[in-house]
Amino acid sequence: MPTVRLRDASEYPEPARRLFELSRQWFDYDFKEPPAMSRVMAWDPHFGGPHGRAMKRAMADGEFSRGEKEMVAAAVSGANACTY
Amino acid sequence: MSGDDGWYEAAFVVGITNALNVVADGLGAAVMAPVEPDSAPPDVAAVFAEIRGFYASAAPGGALGGGEIPTPFGIIAHDAAYLADVWAAVKRAFTDRRLTRRLKTALAFAVSLTTRSAFGTAFHLAELRRLGVGEGGIREIIGVTQMFSSYTKIADTLQLSSDMADIAPVDRTGVPNAGAG
Repeated sequence: MPTVRLRDASEYPEPARRLFELSRQWFDYDFKEPPAMSRVMAWDPHFGGPHGRAMKRAMADGEFSRGEKEMVAAAVSGANACTY
Repeated sequence: MSGDDGWYEAAFVVGITNALNVVADGLGAAVMAPVEPDSAPPDVAAVFAEIRGFYASAAPGGALGGGEIPTPFGIIAHDAAYLADVWAAVKRAFTDRRLTRRLKTALAFAVSLTTRSAFGTAFHLAELRRLGVGEGGIREIIGVTQMFSSYTKIADTLQLSSDMADIAPVDRTGVPNAGAG
């Protein structure tokens, strides 16, 4: 059970909702509700915005593909014992 | 990155990397003396020769120079049969198959960095360079490791449940026949 009540997308102010559209584009998937982490990061766009941009820069195709980096991210999450 | 086989390979790399790091970081630095290659009995020397070959053959001018035996192998070499089995698992895990050795080494580096393994971080960083990954590519792996070390802690602090597993297709294929080897 989350520590906080995750708000529905409709409860967010318009500027924050723009992050949800970016999330949909990034994952290329039509979520019923934005992923929990997207909603968490949209709570404070002044934190979530730059954090998300840094993540996208880190995950972009480079010497390693985005797919390879997703696997690295999964391994890091596993090493951190994070089930999310 | 579709298909479960790659994920199994990744999991095996993560597991065996952690196993090597635990021994190297916990028992290295003179806590336990490794078997020295010069005085190794023949069965251990044979495994050491394979290890040298594996870590020196993937690119010219290998960082290990075909000489050193990585710490965790030296430490466990007092039991030749155990060394042989651990080495066989390591070699299998890191060999090019569905995933490249380059990606597997990147996974090992990321996991070592995440778990603060001094041995694993330095070893797999050297391996990445030896396998031809540039400094830009290494920084990419560091960036992914850093950002997901943030996301995971945010998710854990808020005790979020995974809600994205359904976006990936399910692999309905059977278990591959890897032989009895």
